[in-house]
Amino acid sequence: MGSLAEFCPFCNTADFRTHVDASCRYSEEFTNIYYDCMDKKRRNLMRLYLDKATLVWNGNAVSGQAALGDFFESLPSSEFSIQTLDCQPVHEQATQGQTTLLVVTAGQVKFDGQKQRYFNQNFLLTAQASPTSDQPVWKIASDCFRFQDWSS
Amino acid sequence: RGGRMSRGPFRGPIYYDGPARQQRPRGGQMGGFRGPGPGPRVRFEDNYVDVTMNSGSPQDGSSHRRLKYDKKWLLTALQNLCSVPFTPVQDLTDGLNVVFLITGIEESNALKPIQVHVCLSIKPGRQVIVLMNPCPPPAILNTQLKPEDIEHLKQCMAKRFDGSQRALDLNNIRTDPDLVSQNIRAILSRKTFMDAVVKIIEENIPELVCLNLSNNKLYKLEDVADLISKAPHLKILNLSHNELKSEKELDRLKGLKLVELWLDRNPLCDQFKDQLTYISAIRERFPRLLKLDGHDLPPPIVFEVVSPTTTPPCKGSYFGSEEIKVLIMHFLQQYYSVYDSGNRQPLLDAYHDGASFSLSLPSSQNPNRCSLREYHKDSRNIKRLKDPSTRFRLLKHTRLNVVALLNELPKTQHDSASFNVDVNTYTTTLLSFTVSGMFKEVDGKSQDAVRAFSRVFIAVPAGISGLCIVNDELFVRIATTEEIQHAFAATAPTPSSSPVPTLTAPQQEMLSAFSLKSGMNLEWSQK
Repeated sequence: MGSLAEFCPFCNTADFRTHVDASCRYSEEFTNIYYDCMDKKRRNLMRLYLDKATLVWNGNAVSGQAALGDFFESLPSSEFSIQTLDCQPVHEQATQGQTTLLVVTAGQVKFDGQKQRYFNQNFLLTAQASPTSDQPVWKIASDCFRFQDWSS
Repeated sequence: RGGRMSRGPFRGPIYYDGPARQQRPRGGQMGGFRGPGPGPRVRFEDNYVDVTMNSGSPQDGSSHRRLKYDKKWLLTALQNLCSVPFTPVQDLTDGLNVVFLITGIEESNALKPIQVHVCLSIKPGRQVIVLMNPCPPPAILNTQLKPEDIEHLKQCMAKRFDGSQRALDLNNIRTDPDLVSQNIRAILSRKTFMDAVVKIIEENIPELVCLNLSNNKLYKLEDVADLISKAPHLKILNLSHNELKSEKELDRLKGLKLVELWLDRNPLCDQFKDQLTYISAIRERFPRLLKLDGHDLPPPIVFEVVSPTTTPPCKGSYFGSEEIKVLIMHFLQQYYSVYDSGNRQPLLDAYHDGASFSLSLPSSQNPNRCSLREYHKDSRNIKRLKDPSTRFRLLKHTRLNVVALLNELPKTQHDSASFNVDVNTYTTTLLSFTVSGMFKEVDGKSQDAVRAFSRVFIAVPAGISGLCIVNDELFVRIATTEEIQHAFAATAPTPSSSPVPTLTAPQQEMLSAFSLKSGMNLEWSQK
């Protein structure tokens, strides 16, 4: 076990703590931006996704920026209200060293033409180096969304 | 306008002789007039009172003594002397100069009604000088039409109404003999008249379809706008030969569903550089317009911007591939059979050494949170939780800590038939999927309470047939009544009797390709 601990940076508590703190901040900031974009600047939403990102929306799979752009255009205007937010740093072994966050949200959404509904959503965010700043640019690698009452 | 002297209607001199109660009989054009009453003795010359039509400045007041006079007397005197009746409208007297606004005086050589500003300037021993200055109507003018005038107006409008066409012709109505003979000056550019017209329409002919307001000196449409609600069927409107200066004035009529409009001979028409710009500016206000200034317009191009109001239909599980489906279903069956067994310790084998787990609940709006109480202490909602230490503490890290918490959570029975799985991502090193479904609590205070959950698993490949969990996030909520009705409907196989599906050769091969050496924990053997 000892040797394994060396390889796993996440087992080093000090670093892990910092990582968790940072993850919380990033995920809060990200969700603010994401849902604001979703509600008010829908056309810009696809820019938050990686080129090869995938979205599974109530069982409908959409991948690639172009398809994502079309998909978001086809959705009615929205009003999101996020009530729950949780996040975890994703283990390095799964991501081959690429810093990734798991962000989990829950709340309510009202799409134009529909009644308000509860939903669950989660994202995998990956950090990409930014040419213009020290801070990484977070992009959505995958997105999974479902209404809690999707089957009704 | 400037510098011209005109006789105007005042023909006689006025003698001011104090407050007058005796009045000279009307009609006298020449001759003096001695007004009785207190006041300075003023001698008047035996002349016409010349009326200057340009704006004269009031007489220099310094040489005048303050004089007492009776305004009413003065006005009456003026009225008696004036060959044309006038109406004092507003008293703007300032000190020495008696100033009235009067309406209704017409220049003798033009049938143009003007409003004049009469300034009576009194000098002791001098004649009363009447200075008449034309001026625009004052902003606040509370002149109501008399009921008999309204009646005459109504009669006049009735004559001008064509019932078969539902058309009302008010072209140049101020010159209508019926009104002029009654001394009614139907100046539609004035609010009182336009309001009266609109009211008569509202009360008598609300079905009006066609209205002609041409040649009425209209410079604004503010009062015409009332027709939007009072004459909702109005489709044809003639505003030609008026004084409308800008197409923006038409914004006030935007509610009218006009099909035909006349605007020619208004100053606004000259504002446009070409016909097309003119047409499009007018059409902007009246998209249904088919005829403008008598010309047919090409049919409008209407872009209907359709905003979506439906979301794509919701579907069930999305696995992405059959192989992944088998892999995941296999995993879930094993996982939950342990999870529901009453002892979750064996789950250690399912988790990576450096695994993380956290739990979240719906944010509580309901203060009465007796449900889900057992989950509260471990609930990690960073929207509510701001303290970094608490945030850190509630994220369980390393499999020992993860499973320790799992063992504390209420004992459960999951309804595998209710499971829905969405596969988010699948690479050579990572498989991320979201399971949602129902379970019930099998003991404790909330026995038989039905819950719904949404759980994200992130796993790395482990061995040949398994997955090794690195991240696990569980969201639990109370099930809705509808969900409860449908839950546990199918007879779920008991864990002990369920056959473990064997993987076919191609599936095994695929899993080998997927797996990397993990070396981190024991291969999770099939039970």
